[in-house]
Amino acid sequence: MERLLALWVEALSSEEPDGSTLRDSLTLLDALSLLCPFSELVRLGLYILPLRGPSRFFGGEEAVMKMVRETVRDVTGHEVLLGVADGVFCAELAAREQRVVAPGATDVFRRAQPLEALGRKDLATTCRRLGLYTLGSFADLEVARVGERFNKHALELHRVARGELGELVGQRDLRLAVRLGRLRGEREPHHEQLGLFGPRGAGDERAFAAAHRVRRRLGADALLVASLRGGRVPEDRATLVPWGSPLVEEGTKAPWPGQIRSPSPATTLAHPVAVRLVDQHDTPVLMGARGMLSGEPATLLLTHYARRTVLWHAGPWPLVERWWVLGRRRAYLQVVLALGEAVLLVAESGRWWLVGIYD
Amino acid sequence: MMPLGEPWKALVPGGGLRRGSTVVVEAAPGLGGLSLALSLLTASSANGHWAGVVGVDDPGVVAMAELGVDLRRVLFVPRPRGAWAESAADLLDGVDLLVVRPPSRAAHGVARKLMDRVRERGTVLIVLSESGAAWPLPAELSFVVTDSRWATSSRLEARYLSVRIAGRGEAGRAREHVVVLPNRRGQAAAT
Repeated sequence: MERLLALWVEALSSEEPDGSTLRDSLTLLDALSLLCPFSELVRLGLYILPLRGPSRFFGGEEAVMKMVRETVRDVTGHEVLLGVADGVFCAELAAREQRVVAPGATDVFRRAQPLEALGRKDLATTCRRLGLYTLGSFADLEVARVGERFNKHALELHRVARGELGELVGQRDLRLAVRLGRLRGEREPHHEQLGLFGPRGAGDERAFAAAHRVRRRLGADALLVASLRGGRVPEDRATLVPWGSPLVEEGTKAPWPGQIRSPSPATTLAHPVAVRLVDQHDTPVLMGARGMLSGEPATLLLTHYARRTVLWHAGPWPLVERWWVLGRRRAYLQVVLALGEAVLLVAESGRWWLVGIYD
Repeated sequence: MMPLGEPWKALVPGGGLRRGSTVVVEAAPGLGGLSLALSLLTASSANGHWAGVVGVDDPGVVAMAELGVDLRRVLFVPRPRGAWAESAADLLDGVDLLVVRPPSRAAHGVARKLMDRVRERGTVLIVLSESGAAWPLPAELSFVVTDSRWATSSRLEARYLSVRIAGRGEAGRAREHVVVLPNRRGQAAAT
C-alpha cells in the first residue's frame, strides 16, 4: 500500500452556498499538483498525495510537509492538518491526529484505532457487545464469522480493518471529480499552458493512464519525462525525471554564454564513458592548461579493442564552471570518426569522456 | 493522418503518417537514424499530440527540443528491462506516435501483435532499426539512411543524410532524397 500524505482542511470540508468552497478546493488542488502531479482531492477537505516521489525530490518527507503546509496557507489562508500513513483510510486518520506514522508501522496504528473510525455506528455497537473495541480485535475475527454475524457491508469494513483495502467505501466523493471537471471547463481558456501536469484534456488523460500502466509494469523509475533548464552543455541542460516528480521549471530558451551551440547530440549519455584520444604515434592527447591540445587527435579508443580513426575535430572549448565550488575545468571536443559518426567528448581531470553521440 | 514537418511533408507519399501504420527507420549505428526517427514527431507534437519513446537509453532531450518536439508531451521508457514490447503496447493506448528501438531482432509474433494493436488504436509506430536486424514484417513506410556526411567549419555545421523513402503498393516506389538533419540550429530541413 502506498505511503500517503493526507491533508485535512477543515475550512474547505463543507460547502458554502456561494460555490466558493469548490473553487478554492480546485485552486488548492492545482497548487498541490505543482508539488506532486498525483495529488488528489478525495472529498471536500481531504487531499492526498503519494510521498515517495516528492520526498526523494525535495529531500525528505519533512521538507515536503513544510512546503505543503506553506502552500495551503498561501493559497487558501486556512490551517491544515497533515498526517502520513499507508493507504487513504489510515492517512486520513493520521491527519486527524496530526501524526506521521513511521514506515512499516501502519498496521499497528490501524489496529489501535477505535471501531468508530470505520464510520458505522451499528457495527461499533454490535462489536462492543462482543467485547471488541479496536479495529485490531475486529480484524482478528474470522471472515466466516463476520459473514454470519454482520450484514454484507461489514465484510468490506473487515477487509479495511485487516489492511487488505486501503480505502473505505464512501470515503471518496465520486461526484467530485465530475464537478471539478466542469468547473475546470469554465476556467479552461485561462489555462493555456496545459502541458505536463496542468489541467488535462482527453488526450492527456489517455497518456496518463498509459503512463500508469508502464509504471505498474516496470516500477516508478522506468517512466521518465524530460525538462530543459538553462545550462551550458547538453548534459547539464537536459533533465529526465521520473514521471510523477515535480516538474523542474522549464528554463529560459535564451542561450547561455559559453554554451555549446546547436546542433546537440541526439544521444546524451547519462553516465559518460571513459575513452582515450591519441595522436598518430599513439601518444595520449591531453588538454593543456591554456585550453590547447597536446597533440593532433588521430585515433579514438572506445575500449581496448575498438579503435576509430578521427577524421576531424573541433574545439576544445574550455568551460570553467562553478569554479568557486568545485574548481572544475572542462573542455569540449567535437569529433567526426571514420565511418561518419560524430561524437562529443569532454576532457576533465586529465581524462576524456564520451558524453554525446550525434546519432 | 499525423502531420509531418520539414522536410518530410514534401517527400513522404501523402505528406503525413497514416494513423494505424507502422514506419521503419533503418540506419547503421551512429548515422542519423535516431535523429531521423525523432524528427518525424515534430509537427504532430507541435499540434498537441502525445509521443512515446521506448528503448532509447539516453535520449538527447536538448536535441529533441531543437528539432521542435514539445517535450511536455513525450513519455520516455529508456530502459524497458527486457519488456520493450510490453512497454510499447502499454504506451500505444495513450500516445499518438511511438518511437521504439528494439534491443535486438524482434520476433515475428511480437511484431505482428504490436502492428495489430497499432492498427486497432490508430497510433503510428516508428521502429528504429540500427543493428542490421531488420523489422520482420513489411511496414507501410520505410526510411533507409544510405549515406551520412557532416559539413564542418570551426564546429559541426550540418549533416547531409541520404535517405531512401519507400511506401507500399502503388505510391510506394522508392525514392532517394538528401536532407539536412540536423542543421546548425538542430532542425531537420530540405537541402
